[in-house]
Amino acid sequence: MDLTTKYLGLTLKNPIVVGSCGLTSSVSEIKKLEKQGAAAVVLKSIFEEEILMDVENQLREARENGFIYDKYSETLDYIDVHVKEDHLDEYIQLIKAAKKEVLIPIIASINCVSSSVWTHFASHIEEAGADGLELNISLNPSDLVTRDFEQSIKVIIHKVLAQVTVPVTIKLNNSFTHMAKTILDLSQTGISGLVLFNRAYMPDIDINTMEAVQGKSFSSPNDFVESMRWIALLSDKVNCSLAAAKGIHTHEAIIKQILAGADAVQIVSVLYENGIESINGLLSGLEKWMQEKGFSSLEKFKGKASSKNVGNPAVFERIQFMKYFSGIH
Amino acid sequence: MENMVEHLARERSMEWREALRKSIKAKDRTSLERVAMPEADPAERAKSHVEVNQGLSVQMAVEESRRCLDCPDPTCIQGCPVSINIPKFIKYIEKKDFAGAARSLKETNALPAVCGRVCPQEIQCEASCFYTLKLKAPPVAIGHLERFAADWERKSGKMFIPEVAPANGIKVAVVGSGPSGLAVAGDLVRLGYAITVFEALHEPGGVLKYGIPEFRLPNEIVDVEINNLKKMGVEFLTNFVVGKTATIQELKAEGYQAFFAGSGAGLPNFMHIPGENANGIMSSNEYLTRVNLMNAAHDDYDTPVLLGKNVAVIGGGNTAMDSVRTAKRLGAERAMIIYRRTLAEMPARNEEIKHAQEEGIEFLNLNNPVEYFADKNGRVNRIRLQKMELGEPDASGRKKPIPIEGSEYELEADLVIVSVGVSPNPLIPQSIPGLKVSRWGTIVVDEKEMQSSVPELFAGGDIVRGGATVILAMGDGRHAAAGIDRYLQKKNRSAS
Repeated sequence: MDLTTKYLGLTLKNPIVVGSCGLTSSVSEIKKLEKQGAAAVVLKSIFEEEILMDVENQLREARENGFIYDKYSETLDYIDVHVKEDHLDEYIQLIKAAKKEVLIPIIASINCVSSSVWTHFASHIEEAGADGLELNISLNPSDLVTRDFEQSIKVIIHKVLAQVTVPVTIKLNNSFTHMAKTILDLSQTGISGLVLFNRAYMPDIDINTMEAVQGKSFSSPNDFVESMRWIALLSDKVNCSLAAAKGIHTHEAIIKQILAGADAVQIVSVLYENGIESINGLLSGLEKWMQEKGFSSLEKFKGKASSKNVGNPAVFERIQFMKYFSGIH
Repeated sequence: MENMVEHLARERSMEWREALRKSIKAKDRTSLERVAMPEADPAERAKSHVEVNQGLSVQMAVEESRRCLDCPDPTCIQGCPVSINIPKFIKYIEKKDFAGAARSLKETNALPAVCGRVCPQEIQCEASCFYTLKLKAPPVAIGHLERFAADWERKSGKMFIPEVAPANGIKVAVVGSGPSGLAVAGDLVRLGYAITVFEALHEPGGVLKYGIPEFRLPNEIVDVEINNLKKMGVEFLTNFVVGKTATIQELKAEGYQAFFAGSGAGLPNFMHIPGENANGIMSSNEYLTRVNLMNAAHDDYDTPVLLGKNVAVIGGGNTAMDSVRTAKRLGAERAMIIYRRTLAEMPARNEEIKHAQEEGIEFLNLNNPVEYFADKNGRVNRIRLQKMELGEPDASGRKKPIPIEGSEYELEADLVIVSVGVSPNPLIPQSIPGLKVSRWGTIVVDEKEMQSSVPELFAGGDIVRGGATVILAMGDGRHAAAGIDRYLQKKNRSAS
């Protein structure tokens, strides 16, 4: 049974990529994931916001520390630059160590909110040996300023591509005004892939304390439909690989994504909920289904249910329910 | 035992001080204008290494000393990290007993000629002067007077060498011969300890020599102070890297009973932007060390420094000012400071900024380098700069620089000096198992004794503070000397 697939120009032994998360933040965990059958891992993101918070914390600590001298200090004047470098150094060490210890591709991940300082990180990440780079561009739609988010993403892509030769993929969130056009346009910028979609931070309200609290951390098994829709609609139109993410908890969801045209899937929540051993189960389920259906390789059924290949593509295009489409009489 | 307040009050009540106070009414003293420091002509000094501040004449110093009110509560002393009895030495100047003034300074400050030149008095003693606090008028020029007294003594040829107690045979090693190391050595040798100062470079003096250019602090001044310590019995071993040439453990085996780490913060930081490895881009540490200590600006020496026509210095601190002004003196047509905030946020002393401006240094504020380009030989020839704007203040109170998207432009530069701060030298911390260090790599010490987590190791200066002033480092050295003395006395008492 041939489960290999091409994603970002890399040959993966199967379509399961472990998405960026705490499980991909140490070499020992990455080794375990490889052992369980993961075809690639996306390292835990180096977070711009986290680093900015660390800068503030260090400045505060330096001021409170009776010894650390802050007046006339050039070091503290540029502490944001140095803190970023320290974080990057740690990340570079993780990439180097992971590359030494495992055979599967290592995809680095940057979670950035601006284009200015972060793009040069990309070249250091490439030098460290990463096989690819995933950019998780967190432009915040909750502020009330008018911004051209699509254009901002393109600026970041342009700058990063000028720095590196490794494949670059963009992990998108699902809240663009014109999703199909955005995906299509971005796929033509020179990137090697798109990941649909990033799981946003979920807020909640505690009705006892009436306070805002953190909501559910993990995706739900039904969430996979969001990415499946757009992959089915666009997999034969985009100029890059597509990976499905969010809500992929079962081998059925993996099969559906590949049928829609995905080149790979990213899983995270299922690993937290069912343990990393579940990778093995997902792969067995996939293989069993392929055997039942008589597919000897992934390529044989990839995109078989994309909008181009199905008899009723409108199913993917509809946003509003109608009696006809919903099947409710 | 007499406390500090009682001691100051007793000294103030001495007959000669009372007589001086009565000789001029306070109102007349406060109506005197602060005497300006004579400075070398900017056009001339920018072509030479002549000292910028020329020093007060005898007449000027006496005139300025008259402004000091000899306050009953001398708040200026609280602003001094080594608690110099400021009114006392100033009144000696008013009395024209300049040797007395120098002696008085040396009671608590081993390097008055140095501190009089490079201390940021405007945020220390002078910020706490009665004139500043109560009269909202220019403070007494304490730093200028300190320098005057120390220079007068040196030029008189009758340097006061403090008395040294009989040798007690206890060996103490001082690592680094910068301001904190010299202060420790000075205090401990007086108490009879056998002091060896280990210096990694070929000349003692540390940052005073390699970091501060001749036009701000002539090396000769530092050498005089070091020679005094030698006369007192301090041994200096140069080209000796503790942690490499010999470890602390090996020195311990040679009989050293206590150690002071004053190895400074000599590890330069860079910005790690593309192209930063090109030839012609170096740290301010390297640039200044080569020029100040290795005669790199002279053709007949083996280790020349690259000279630039268009020199860009990245940063806005005192080291950046020293570097850019050095570049100007070495013939740069354009010597530029590139700083990502504005003059108001610059960490450099106002005096240094003013002197730099007078000498024709260009200030490209609200600019930040994002990439360097090199010619076919790998030598830097252009910088891509991005314009910045200021946002909200960060936790340090400085406004955050925010890049302006799309504002990048290129600037010609054939020499770039990066001066964005330094980190502590890691050699000592790395060579001592169990030594507690902070997240910044500084040695963690007890605030009173300056003792580290390794009992026989004390530390001070930049290796504890990250990047401090000369006088703060000296203050650390003095506290550490007292701490070492207490530690060794206790240890040797219990051993006997």
